Amino acid sequence: MLRLRPERFGRVNRGGIRGMTAVSGEFRREIEAIGEVFAFLETFVESQEIDEKTAFCINLVVEELFTNMVRHNEGGGDRIAISVERRDDRLHLELIDSNVEPFDPQTAEIPLVNAGIEERRPGGLGIYLVKKMVDDLNYDYEAEDRRMRITVTKTLEN
Amino acid sequence: MFEIKRDANGTISLHGRLDASQVNNARAVFAQVKESCDVDFAELSYISSAGLGLLFGTQKKLVDTGGGLTLINLSPHIREIFQIAGFDNIFEIA
Repeated sequence: MLRLRPERFGRVNRGGIRGMTAVSGEFRREIEAIGEVFAFLETFVESQEIDEKTAFCINLVVEELFTNMVRHNEGGGDRIAISVERRDDRLHLELIDSNVEPFDPQTAEIPLVNAGIEERRPGGLGIYLVKKMVDDLNYDYEAEDRRMRITVTKTLEN
Repeated sequence: MFEIKRDANGTISLHGRLDASQVNNARAVFAQVKESCDVDFAELSYISSAGLGLLFGTQKKLVDTGGGLTLINLSPHIREIFQIAGFDNIFEIA
């Protein structure tokens, strides 16, 4: 049973049925909110006894997607919603940003990872890492609500 | 939490979690790097693209003058991130 304290994470919901556990929270649209996001993820990781490598991965994936929303969706809603759900051996992550313009992170510059430093540029590395570390990454945008949703699936290591 | 220290030999030690909210603390130290030095990852448990970008910028500056950073004591998870990013091609990783 998850024990999340709503006052730490803003509005947090939790629920679970057999073989499935889900938590969600809303976080300030600020880079500085990353610490609260990590605390939220850590509680989930501990409760689900998720292995260290997968835990590192979901921290990185959520940080990259969250900071991407903060940086590119300036002027959006006050909060970004994050949910994490476990279905057996798969994790499903979802980030929702409201009142924003469409921005598909998959259109980000692809870094030249095999190039020497002279040819390399720093851009696009965060999303590239995310795509390499998860099973799949999906983006959709609802024009009516001006709502962006990014979903990620990650299979647990063990 | 994140901490960064530089000892008398010039070695930079990273402690804790280097995420996007902490990278400016590290930037101030790396901005002072003018010649080759070691960066010790022994106490670093986490790094994201924000920290990688900072290391990349520092390396680029040093390579232009014939130097470079040597990264030591990377954890397996962090080493894997460096490999995925192709950073094992542009840094000396001991």
